[in-house]
Amino acid sequence: MSTEERDPGLAVDLHDVRKVYPRKVEALRGIRMEARRGEVFGLLGPNGAGKSTLVKIMLTVVRPTMASGTILGQPIGHKPTLARVGYLPEKHRFPDYLTGRQAIELSGALANVGRSTRKARALELLELVGMSDWGDRLVGTYSKGMMQRVGIAAAMVAEPDLVVLDEPTDGVDPVGRKDIRDILLRIRERGACVFLNSHLLSELEVVCDRVAILVQGEVAAQGTIGELTSDSHRYEIRIQGPPPPWVEEAGLRSESGDDGETVLVLPGRESADVQKFIDRLRGESRVILSMNQARDSLEDLFLKFVKDPETGRNRLPGAARTTAPTRVTS
Amino acid sequence: MTQTLALFVDAYRELNHRKLFWVTLAISAFIVVAFAAVGNDEEGLTIFHWSIPFPFVSTAFIPRADFYKFIFSTLGVGFWLSWIASIIALVSTASIFPDFVDRGSIDLMLSKPIGRARLFLTKFATGLMFAAVQVTVFTVAAFLVIGIRGGDWEPWLLIAIPLVVIFYSYLFAVQAVIGLVTRSVIASVIGVMLFWMAISLVQSGDTVTLAWRVTQEITVERRQARLETLSENAARYESERLELSEKVRAGDESLEEELAEATTKSDLRAARLIDARDELMDEEETLEIAARVNDWFHAANTVLPKTGETIGLLERLLVKYAGLTIPDDSDPDDSVRQFGAMVGEREFKERMAEALDESHSYLWILGTSLGFEALVLGFGVWRFSRRDF
Repeated sequence: MSTEERDPGLAVDLHDVRKVYPRKVEALRGIRMEARRGEVFGLLGPNGAGKSTLVKIMLTVVRPTMASGTILGQPIGHKPTLARVGYLPEKHRFPDYLTGRQAIELSGALANVGRSTRKARALELLELVGMSDWGDRLVGTYSKGMMQRVGIAAAMVAEPDLVVLDEPTDGVDPVGRKDIRDILLRIRERGACVFLNSHLLSELEVVCDRVAILVQGEVAAQGTIGELTSDSHRYEIRIQGPPPPWVEEAGLRSESGDDGETVLVLPGRESADVQKFIDRLRGESRVILSMNQARDSLEDLFLKFVKDPETGRNRLPGAARTTAPTRVTS
Repeated sequence: MTQTLALFVDAYRELNHRKLFWVTLAISAFIVVAFAAVGNDEEGLTIFHWSIPFPFVSTAFIPRADFYKFIFSTLGVGFWLSWIASIIALVSTASIFPDFVDRGSIDLMLSKPIGRARLFLTKFATGLMFAAVQVTVFTVAAFLVIGIRGGDWEPWLLIAIPLVVIFYSYLFAVQAVIGLVTRSVIASVIGVMLFWMAISLVQSGDTVTLAWRVTQEITVERRQARLETLSENAARYESERLELSEKVRAGDESLEEELAEATTKSDLRAARLIDARDELMDEEETLEIAARVNDWFHAANTVLPKTGETIGLLERLLVKYAGLTIPDDSDPDDSVRQFGAMVGEREFKERMAEALDESHSYLWILGTSLGFEALVLGFGVWRFSRRDF
């Protein structure tokens, strides 16, 4: 597919990205992934699933064994495009001899941002990430959370169209996490794409428009959280006493608790379906304690994909090994 | 340009942060002050206003300007900058590349719109700033001292700046690649020191075996000259003997005794001639071995960087272009024993200088050394470009 044919709305458009490390450790096994401009895209997966490898391939830190696709409309590995990409690596480290402001300015200079512009932006960004009072102190004196804030500011200094953040809230306190969430939303409002790699599923659920779940080097699922959890919509009716005898026959599932209560679960999202069961329960003089509409959380979804369907246990962390021959294209 | 400038500013901040950089600069300042404090007069050495009678450094023996130039080239550059300051610099800069490729910091660099080869080479160039700043400050200060105290404003002294930076770049290239491959500061320091030691041994081997070769050439030439003399003598004695023999055969019995004496002398000369030929053959064999060993060392030296000889170029250039006269108290007729042979000291020095000029030219020293550095950096660029971080 030529560059012209590609959707200009896509900030990240990856096709068949593969990475085989020495000793045939296959970290990525044909990744296909799309992230749009103006959205927050979350990449999740267990340890060793290949998330960081994928991000590093996008940022040219790691060379792919095979890859096709584009970043901001240009082929992967196109260096000039990286001027429009901001990046916060996991466990990033600025040199101890720099102040926070200097670290942000250095990041801007390396992205070819002019001197006066990057100086002005450094001050603005320090303000934005709540580090104005610390901007002229050496980064060696910063806490982990402060380093993350400055790192995010450094990633934003070139006003990028794509911001890739690898565990941005790592080591950040709850107030800081909220601040970072707000910053991500501001980047999105600007029309840029935020590509987020995080373990904190609850945060991703709050902020992400779309997510992809990576398991053992492959995309297990990709889409909006609504799309991915649509099959899990259900009604939960909590009643007092044991489950009625007709439950299984009626297609409901029941979960009895120790407190003498039972939860009846009705799959689906049609409210009309649930009415007849409520009527029937009332007809039998059952006490209905509560009723609510539910669906899987991102965590439930994540755990479902991480679970090995054959063994029923969580997949072991780490990449897969391959015995198949691999094609090296770069 | 913005990126390159930013990397240099970053390197300056890094230097500024390193205590060893300021310690070295302070020692350099102290050395320059000490350099300014000493001098020479008609009686000998002077320190501030005190005069110490030491005729070997009096102005009668070495002019004041040459005294300063000599001290600058041998102690200031030859000892301080090229040994002590360089060791401090290598220890201080050892962490540059391991820190650079450390996880967490290399990702930030590689994710920028700057090619890996350019990034590696710019980082290498910024690493040379330690040596460049030190040598520039020291040389300019020494230039001022020599101008003010020695009365000679010699611009050729400033050639020390590129020479020392080039010298340091050979070692830093090796250190950078070790740091890149191993990511270890300790391995970088130990590796470059061992490398420096090894190439110093090869350079010494090349010079020593060249001295052996030159000594042997002089010895062979002497043996050849002696053989010619002995050959002439032997021919003359044999001719005398033949003449007497003819006369005795013609009946002049009074010459028999003289003939016997002439025969003895002729036989003696013939025996000496044979011995001299054997000795010449032995010396020629030794010369062949010396030449072969020297060729091996020279070949090894050719492919390696020549640290000592690069620094030595300063003295050669100062002698050639700045009129520096190296004090030499040797007598033209003095002989010295070296490599088991007696040779004229002055003759040896002249022949050795000629041989060095011939086989160790400026172009050879700098060209082959920079060629080695280019190969090392080429390997570094290749490794850096292909590696995953």
